[in-house]
Amino acid sequence: MKKLSIGQIIIFFFLILIALAQLFPLFWLFNYSLQKSSNLFGPKLLDIPVDPQWGNYAKAWINGRIAQYLTNSVIVVAASIFFILLFSFTIAYACSRMQWKLRKVVYNFVLLGMVIPIHTTLLPNFIWFSKFGLIDTHMSLIIPYTAFFLAFSVLMFTGFLHSLPFAMEESAYLDGAGLGTILLKIVAPMVKPGFVTVGIMAFLNSWNEFIMANTYLASETKRTLPFSIIRFEGEYASDYAVQFACMVIVAVIPIALYFIFSKRIIAGVTAGSVKG
Amino acid sequence: MNQLFTSKKNILWLVGPGVLIMLFAIVAPILLSVYYSLTDWSGFGAKTFIGLANYKEVLFQDPTFWRSLYNALLLLVVTVFIQNVLAFILAAVLNQLKEKYSLVLRTIYFVPAILTVVVITKLWTNMMNPNYGMINKLLGAVGLEAWQHSWISDPKTALGAVIFITVWHGFGWALLFYYSGLTTVPQELHEAAVVDGAGPFKRYTAVVIPYMLPVIQAVIIIDITSCLKQMEIILLSTEGGPGNTTQFVAYHLYEQAFKFSRYGYGNAISIVFVIVALTITMLAQKYLSQANEKL
Repeated sequence: MKKLSIGQIIIFFFLILIALAQLFPLFWLFNYSLQKSSNLFGPKLLDIPVDPQWGNYAKAWINGRIAQYLTNSVIVVAASIFFILLFSFTIAYACSRMQWKLRKVVYNFVLLGMVIPIHTTLLPNFIWFSKFGLIDTHMSLIIPYTAFFLAFSVLMFTGFLHSLPFAMEESAYLDGAGLGTILLKIVAPMVKPGFVTVGIMAFLNSWNEFIMANTYLASETKRTLPFSIIRFEGEYASDYAVQFACMVIVAVIPIALYFIFSKRIIAGVTAGSVKG
Repeated sequence: MNQLFTSKKNILWLVGPGVLIMLFAIVAPILLSVYYSLTDWSGFGAKTFIGLANYKEVLFQDPTFWRSLYNALLLLVVTVFIQNVLAFILAAVLNQLKEKYSLVLRTIYFVPAILTVVVITKLWTNMMNPNYGMINKLLGAVGLEAWQHSWISDPKTALGAVIFITVWHGFGWALLFYYSGLTTVPQELHEAAVVDGAGPFKRYTAVVIPYMLPVIQAVIIIDITSCLKQMEIILLSTEGGPGNTTQFVAYHLYEQAFKFSRYGYGNAISIVFVIVALTITMLAQKYLSQANEKL
């Protein structure tokens, strides 16, 4: 191994220090999620669990209603991703491949969704949705999650479509294929990376969303996963270790997905930043 | 071109549903918000049309609004001038490393960014807890007992604490944007600068940063929207306190509408807030584009 210069050692030292600043809080959380709550008040910075309290996780699962909230999150997020992919793919296709007068207007209108802050609609939608009986239903989240994420997704799909030759679609048409067949059998497989990237970004966006869920859902039975943690504010507030275990459970799902798909996520951010 | 690709019916089917959902969930509520902002509605029962009275109150009689706008802008300044600069330097260092080290470090640095704001906020409020939090223990361990205190409930440090949490959460995004921007800088540019005798610092200020301006511009525009709309961390930690020291615009309007039943007034703040946000975005866009053209 070649020798490192002093400068390089200092740089590596800082790189590791920053990595610690990013990871140590999560490690601290995990560490105390395996302790008894009272151990938290000890003088030690970290207290390696000699007698890991896995029971905290069982308690967190039950008191945090994780099974139910997780199911709700999966329903809301899966539906949002489905509509986002479907609508943004078709809009991007119509705006980049088809000939019609209003296509520029529609395209720019859709992209406008990126500069409107979500919170502008937070108050009015509370009344507006209730007129349609949508408040306290999962649709009150699926609709705005879809509407607000279309702009980014259309932008992404347009980018992917631009790099594709038109010849395949044309020859399929000459062979007598309809538009549905062309979209599903020819175009969709070619923009598969686009579906994966948009899907992951849409997942992170709707999975982590809290403020609309907090505003539009009232019933315990409808709530999404972040509310598991909120449940530890009232009656279980002093159960720190169980609360920590609950936070670990909630955190672990996106972290696992992130490690599986990190290449795609990074590609998605790159594409977004270059065009944004 | 053939009729399959020009058929109005086909286009309507492709575009219609998405556009309708945007009209329903974005355009209609904004129009409604303008309407409600002109009333004294509490959210329930009767409402009276009161013209621009709410707007007058927001602009001239609501010190909390100005305080909250100031805090949001302070967050923006810290994000752009501290978080972004650190992220850029770090991205530049990572870009020089061997791919295998760089990949591991990038993956680690991005972890906080993918977590929900509820986990992040609760994690940090626990870390900053005066009785068992890690921050005070850490200070004790290095002999700085005098600095130990209740970070979030002390008016002197509360704002700093919530700004820190926000910046920590968003750091990975800024880093990733800058890193991916840096990988697009052609190697020839670096080489040409070296041939011209530029040192590493000069190479960045004279060649790389100008090339990266579109990326820097994109990141700053994203920062503007995300800093101005900040409210989740506030809602989950300080609720604007102690004594309004950590009020942010988005939380202020939320609190007015839902906590104090001043729904009409909340909508007026919301409209003023959108105008401020769009103005700042446009100004930043214009200024940054000009800087871009000059180079």
